[in-house]
Amino acid sequence: MAQAPKPIASPVPEAWYPSMAALMLVFGLVFTASFFIYEATSSRKNRSIAKELTTGALASVFLGFGSLFLLLATGVYV
Amino acid sequence: METRFALFFFFFFFLLIALLSTPVFSDLVITKVDRKIDLTSHIVRISSSLKVENAGPDVVSQLLLTFPEYQAKKLAYLTASSAEGKGKSKGSSANLPVEVVQPEGVPPALTFYSVSLPRGLGKGESLNLDVFAVLTHSLQPFPEEITQADVQLVLFQDSAHYLSPYEVKAQVLSIKLPSPRVESFTKIQNTKLVDSEIKYGPYENLPAFSYSPIIVHYENNRPFAVATELLREIEISHWGNVQITEHYKLEHGGARTKGGFSRIDYQARPNVRGASSFRRLIVKLPPRAHSVYYRDEIGNVSTSHLWADSRKTELEIEPRYPMFGGWKTFFTVGYGLPLHDYLFESDGKRFLNVSFGSPIAEVVVDNLLVVLPEGSKDISVSVPFSVKQWEEVKYSHLDISGRPVVVLEKKNAVPEHNSHFQVYYKFNSFSMLREPLMLISGFFFLFVSCIIYMHADLSISKSSASYLAKLQWYEVQATVQKLHEIMVRCLTVHDKLEASLRDLSRTGDVQACKAMRKAADSLLKDLSKDLKPLLVFLQSSLQAAQIYQKVEELVVKEKELQEKLMSKHTMVVDAYEKKSAGRELENRIAALQQKLTTLRQEVDDLIDVIDEI
Repeated sequence: MAQAPKPIASPVPEAWYPSMAALMLVFGLVFTASFFIYEATSSRKNRSIAKELTTGALASVFLGFGSLFLLLATGVYV
Repeated sequence: METRFALFFFFFFFLLIALLSTPVFSDLVITKVDRKIDLTSHIVRISSSLKVENAGPDVVSQLLLTFPEYQAKKLAYLTASSAEGKGKSKGSSANLPVEVVQPEGVPPALTFYSVSLPRGLGKGESLNLDVFAVLTHSLQPFPEEITQADVQLVLFQDSAHYLSPYEVKAQVLSIKLPSPRVESFTKIQNTKLVDSEIKYGPYENLPAFSYSPIIVHYENNRPFAVATELLREIEISHWGNVQITEHYKLEHGGARTKGGFSRIDYQARPNVRGASSFRRLIVKLPPRAHSVYYRDEIGNVSTSHLWADSRKTELEIEPRYPMFGGWKTFFTVGYGLPLHDYLFESDGKRFLNVSFGSPIAEVVVDNLLVVLPEGSKDISVSVPFSVKQWEEVKYSHLDISGRPVVVLEKKNAVPEHNSHFQVYYKFNSFSMLREPLMLISGFFFLFVSCIIYMHADLSISKSSASYLAKLQWYEVQATVQKLHEIMVRCLTVHDKLEASLRDLSRTGDVQACKAMRKAADSLLKDLSKDLKPLLVFLQSSLQAAQIYQKVEELVVKEKELQEKLMSKHTMVVDAYEKKSAGRELENRIAALQQKLTTLRQEVDDLIDVIDEI
């Protein structure tokens, strides 16, 4: 063996999972809220698709990572 | 029973005659054999230390070990190690390779194992060898059926002489029993029972293949826990966990129970009225095990206790009922282990290093699953003993293509098989992002479908009056929104002008104020230009009739406000330029200011009204 085996750990320390989950879900929900507020308030004619997509993408990134960390924090190791 | 043993004796009698004519295997001579048979549990452990000497002229590198067929079938584990050093200094003794061989001219009732010696033995050289064998299911309960109150008696049979294809010069055998309560044992010469140990020997100068059957009939109430099937599932998550789930099918492998079972008797005197049963098992888990659970098909089994310290985690489990002979139970034990203790990286490959067998001390038929993360490639396994092995695919949380699974199956595994094994595989770290990307795309799909729904025109009739009216109403809405925006911008320009006046009174910089005024003028002009088409549209639109009044009012008010503000601005700037400050001027400005405030209030109100549309 060329080198001594080195242990592999999670890229994010396990102790951070609950706080990461809370933080990211809060951000995600804020973006989701702003997305739906925009959808409901802007009129059909002057709605910008770029703005909708960016808000949606940001919200889904945060919600995605947030729910992943939520799963990990609750012990569902994916 | 009796006839069976008689048959055995006959059989071996003929065997010995047959063997007398077989060729001598080599010129090895066993000068000393010390055999210890441990019968304290239901697993039979035979450790023999041999001293081998080469009496012939040729160099010998192979040694044959012999087991009668009835033992070879139950043999679960066999190792041979050479103890090179003398006395207590024999520490590091490597296991020697052992394999089954079938030399020519021997009856099939004997099974031969060939041990490769660490070095060839020359003439007159000698070697110490330790042989360790583990037998399962070798204790035969007799009687085969007992009642709840009976103790369990078992039979064990072996040979008083060491069965070997070589001449044995001197030998002793000692059999260790769990208690001094022995029903009977075969007495031949030099036999004695001391406490809970039976000693045979010493016997000297016995020829090859000497066999002298002995039978020990004794009391053994140790838990005869046999896992008829154990499925261990090891699931790796690179997010920091090795999850181990063990599904047990456990059976009491001792004498079967007959008659009824009285819970009252058992409860009152469990040691007498349930001597042969066992109630609890200790599961020795690795240190830092977490999320331990113990359940069966019904649900959680609450009769369990857990102790943990820095070196080990101990789980005591009690099945739902005491286990008597022949009774079965099914349960599942699961626990999580920290990833960094068990997963390592070396030469670009990752490998898992966990122990093979069950953490409970018992005989098991083992079926082990190793579930690797999705995206693992080039899987290879290194196990220190032979196992059946194949690969499967398992679907778990957030999987698309499934996780590769290595299945290792081992029949007749004993606690001695609890050595570590390794599973090597390749894994790209970016594959860890599969699960979050899946979640992200799921959420994104939701948002995109919302966007599509909001943009889609779902009405069926594109020419109906109500549809057209709706379209027009959208148009009006959009126009009003634009108008609202323009108004808000106008008001910010107004605020800027006011701010410039305040700056003027503080710094006295007339030029800056004038420049500001110029910029504001052009901006306002642009805005009013933008406003015109919107107003025209609203005027022409039927739907906007009611709104138009408000809008018109707003536009007029705003214009008035603008004019008043401009005249105030001009006045103040003029006054600064001419350096004339009179009471009259101040009064006029104050009057203007009052009007401005009321107008501003009205405009703000109107803007709010329009915003609500």
